[in-house]
Amino acid sequence: MMNRFNHLPTLKVDTTQKLAFIYKGEKYYGVKGDTVASALFANGVRIFGRSLKYHRPRGLYSLDGECSNTCMEVDGVPNVRCENTLLEDGMVIKEQNVKGSAEKDYLGFLDKMDWMMPAGFYYNVMHKPAKVWPIAMKQIRKAAGLGKISPDYEMPGKFDEIFLNTDVCVIGGGPSGMTAALCAAQKGLRVVLMESRPWLGGFFEYRSREYQDGQTLNERARHLAKEVEAQDNIRVFTHTSAVGTYNNNLVTGFQIGKKENVFDERYIEIRAKSVVAAAGCIERPLIFDHNERPGVMQIGCALRMAKTYGQMPGKKAVFSIGHDLGLEAALELHDLGLAIACIADIREDGQDSDLVRKIEDKKIPLLKGWVATKAHGAKIVKKVSISSLDGQVSKTFPCDLIVASAGMTPVTGHITVAQGTLKYDNHTGFFLPDMMPEKMHAAGRILGLNDPLSIEASGTLAGLQAAFDCENCSIQEIGEAKKALENLPGPVRGSKLVTAPVKGRKSFICFDEDATIKNIKQAIDKGFDMPELIKRFTATGLGPGQGGIPGHNLPLYVAKYQALPDISIRPTNVRPPLVPTLISTYAGVNHKMFKITPMDEMQKKDGGVFRNIGVWQRARYFSNDVTCQNEIENVRKNVGMLDGSTLGKFRIHGPDALKALQRVFVSDMTKVKQGRVKYSAMCNDDGCVIDDGVVVKQGENDYYFTTSSGRAGQTVEWIRYHTRYDGWDFALVNLTDSLGVINLSGPNARKVLEKIVDIELSNEAFGYSEYKEFKIADAIPTRAMRLGFVGELSYELHVPSSYMKAVWLMLREAGKEFNIQNFGVEAQNVLRMEKCHIILGQESEQRTNLLDVGLGFLWDRNKADAKTVGAIALRQAENDQTRLKLVGFKMENNTRAPRDGALVVDDKVRGYIATARDSFSLNEAVGMALVEGELSKIGTRLEIYEDECGDDRIYGTVVKMPFYDPEGTRMKM
Amino acid sequence: MKEIQRVSPVVFKSTPVKTEQRDNWEVVMEYSGEGEGPFLVDLSHRPRFDLQDASLSAKKPFGIVIPEIPGNCVLENGILANRMNRTQVSLFNLDGGGAVSMPDESGYTDVTESTVCVALFGENVFSICEKLTALDFMDSQRKAPFLFQGPFSHVPCQIVALSKEGDASGLVLTCSRGYGRDMIHSILHAGEEFRLTPAGESRFTNWIKNL
Repeated sequence: MMNRFNHLPTLKVDTTQKLAFIYKGEKYYGVKGDTVASALFANGVRIFGRSLKYHRPRGLYSLDGECSNTCMEVDGVPNVRCENTLLEDGMVIKEQNVKGSAEKDYLGFLDKMDWMMPAGFYYNVMHKPAKVWPIAMKQIRKAAGLGKISPDYEMPGKFDEIFLNTDVCVIGGGPSGMTAALCAAQKGLRVVLMESRPWLGGFFEYRSREYQDGQTLNERARHLAKEVEAQDNIRVFTHTSAVGTYNNNLVTGFQIGKKENVFDERYIEIRAKSVVAAAGCIERPLIFDHNERPGVMQIGCALRMAKTYGQMPGKKAVFSIGHDLGLEAALELHDLGLAIACIADIREDGQDSDLVRKIEDKKIPLLKGWVATKAHGAKIVKKVSISSLDGQVSKTFPCDLIVASAGMTPVTGHITVAQGTLKYDNHTGFFLPDMMPEKMHAAGRILGLNDPLSIEASGTLAGLQAAFDCENCSIQEIGEAKKALENLPGPVRGSKLVTAPVKGRKSFICFDEDATIKNIKQAIDKGFDMPELIKRFTATGLGPGQGGIPGHNLPLYVAKYQALPDISIRPTNVRPPLVPTLISTYAGVNHKMFKITPMDEMQKKDGGVFRNIGVWQRARYFSNDVTCQNEIENVRKNVGMLDGSTLGKFRIHGPDALKALQRVFVSDMTKVKQGRVKYSAMCNDDGCVIDDGVVVKQGENDYYFTTSSGRAGQTVEWIRYHTRYDGWDFALVNLTDSLGVINLSGPNARKVLEKIVDIELSNEAFGYSEYKEFKIADAIPTRAMRLGFVGELSYELHVPSSYMKAVWLMLREAGKEFNIQNFGVEAQNVLRMEKCHIILGQESEQRTNLLDVGLGFLWDRNKADAKTVGAIALRQAENDQTRLKLVGFKMENNTRAPRDGALVVDDKVRGYIATARDSFSLNEAVGMALVEGELSKIGTRLEIYEDECGDDRIYGTVVKMPFYDPEGTRMKM
Repeated sequence: MKEIQRVSPVVFKSTPVKTEQRDNWEVVMEYSGEGEGPFLVDLSHRPRFDLQDASLSAKKPFGIVIPEIPGNCVLENGILANRMNRTQVSLFNLDGGGAVSMPDESGYTDVTESTVCVALFGENVFSICEKLTALDFMDSQRKAPFLFQGPFSHVPCQIVALSKEGDASGLVLTCSRGYGRDMIHSILHAGEEFRLTPAGESRFTNWIKNL
């Protein structure tokens, strides 16, 4: 393992604390604070993986996970960005996308076959003859892709989520972000500060250059961080990347957890009144031949390897840079012991004179107007060629490290995703924010600033602007902050060079997708002249790095190659997530929120098999027999209990309650009589039936009604909506959860109920369609209805939910002598289907109207005053012969029932099966179907097509409904 | 026949140490290992009423003047009145002492059975809340008590923040009774890192007395 520096104040590793990890089956050691990448590097690993298409060796490049170079499999999780992932004791790390190993990849030969794979080759070749394509596609897919994952892979780890509200959200914990946060906080505002690295400090944090009055930038960063952390009203989220910015200043992000946290990653959603975008800059990659060979690094990568992780990034280096940070890094690394053969600076002039003087003092050769043209070495860098910008003069230096960077690129994704716009700035060479989104402000290097005091001043200004958005700052204060910024150094002149003077066959503009400059030329030559088109044709920027590497190089190169007079084209759109994260993180905790009935526990004890049905969990069966034969036969011959608590239940009361009922129900609700149950339905404006239920009158202007389970959540809103202009005085209360419902059904139902109630239950005293209120055991207020949904003698008992268990136990005790049993929703489904009682949603769909399902008898055509919802449409539909009709059918030759949803066909689709089952009560398969009018006549043969049945059809015949007890004597007994 | 017992939609795994019988409810006054807070207390047995009227200003439930602005609440003599909208107010009896009957006037409905009702109070309660909802309890514009009607763990709820004062912070939450099991699970899960524990009614009574 490499010796580390341990004396630098900027270090983030603790070299005294060793962490063991397994790499390719062998044990290695890193230290606390290492990332997976820095730990591997310390152990001599230079090739981390292979590239997507050409299987080229790849190594450290940005140290911020800007590309897929260092994506590896960590603890079984593929595509982990190792530059951003902190090492943990016991981690198991594997290479990915290799055949053999990263060192020796048997698919490495593909690098020589690039001539066969020009831009968009998969659109052009291997399609003719067409039969070749499926074979070619399989091979391409085998070779391509990064990490492998199985379809049933279950993501390990703990995921969490938080939803924050704040006045100001600051994206970026560098100097400008911290200053903005402090400024807003000092105005008394709530501030959330997000920083993608595990610590605050940003661009200052790892640098030893003087800030002011002898204080280094690193010291200044620490000072600011301390101030920020001391502010109670600033919530700091480190190791937290902002991945999306949306309308109304909604910011999303994710945070990587520490060991002591209860999460590995958590999703963060922030609603802010104002946002400060201070994400700084990344480096603009320098494009030259083999510019992604392991050993080629960006300036920040090389410098931070030493200053943050205590490792020398190489032994002998050549710098090819276009920014003063490169000169500063060369000096610092030289002082730490790095041999520097040469610095090739793209810029002819404009360097910081102080830095140039120091470089000269240290006798480091500095070539102005020179650039790297080629990295040599089969797998890792062995030497580099540099040349003058015109390519006329060249030199070669042996080295194992090329520090290469064309300049800086502002991180503007947070601005553009929120619909801000960018404009090319000729001075800086940046695409700078032009139109900022409402209540979003940019600060720091994102504006092209480089001077430390200017960066902080821009943070102050943005903090005040954010405070202004929160009505907490005056225009005057903002004016003063603007003036202060104007008196400091402005944006620095940037390097304009995009590529070295090379042909570009092996000069990579996008590492993730192995896209070269030559590919971009090919795309442009084919007419794809805009970055958005080129992106799609060449896949440039479509990889896991989210376009970080090609970023602004792509539009700059496109403008250059086409010799555009001005750079009016824009970078390609970036989209959330701006930083790659796990789908599991987006899923968060994912609490399953279902409703359970008061009988949930009891039914589970009785062997209920539960299913999620809408918002509820309900007992569907009470055995493994999905035909529910025993449950059905028990209801038909004996007595069963069903938990119907999910029914929608409502109280409507007040002087205008009846008017409201008249409006939404199709029947004449004045006919609801005390002590009687009225069945009716609701339609929408199209006459389509949306709900049905029963209504009872509890008192003067006081009604109780039920709806289907699925509609219960919308009923109050539905009635309020349809009475919104009337000014009627009525109150609506949703009692769905307040009351549980037990449906006691079967010929012995009366005998069971008699044992627990004190009222007379004879058919004369409590007849069919009647309603009674009484108390069970002098304590439990009960509403009882004589209904017959399942076609047998039935009592529907509506009981306060807290008493449901007590009543259930009483009925079970009372029914013991009859061997009372539970029945579930599937048994109920079959029982009611035999009786041809419909369930909306089962025998209807969105277009089915009241008349189609045979419920026209419910509609009272004479209550014109009520303006019944749907009545106009029903009148129009009355004579429409083209509508589907609900029919009953039996299967021919007593064959099995078709599946629900199967199609009724001849030479075209003529309808579909609503519900069909093998009926134990009837000893044959029966069902209901919605079919075209001409197929609805009794005796019509129905040809039924089921999924994947091929030419094998099954046949049924339309018969009269209902199938079971057509006279209805059993439910009225 | 066994004694008739009412069942709360809230089930805690903790062991009750002290219980009290009240109107067929077995109310847990104290659980073992309640810890130092924050606490989650089941109040589902406490009477709750819905009052709807076109002219609410004319109504004085339990002698309380109903707040005029939706979202505002008033806590008086143990009755919490929460103005929901133009015509509706919810009333929670948070006073464990006396049994309160529903006023014998038009407009009232007893909705005790409709909802789960829990109190969440103590240190870090709003940190627990922000794991489950985007509602902004710490908005300086809102003075406790105030009402939110919005999603909490994805479920529509009424949440009344009764205090925003540091360790004494707390709220009362109601949602459809059927969600009881999953709501309690999600709150306790969110509160794990803050050592949230179930507590008996006595804790709540002491807390609300000191507000």
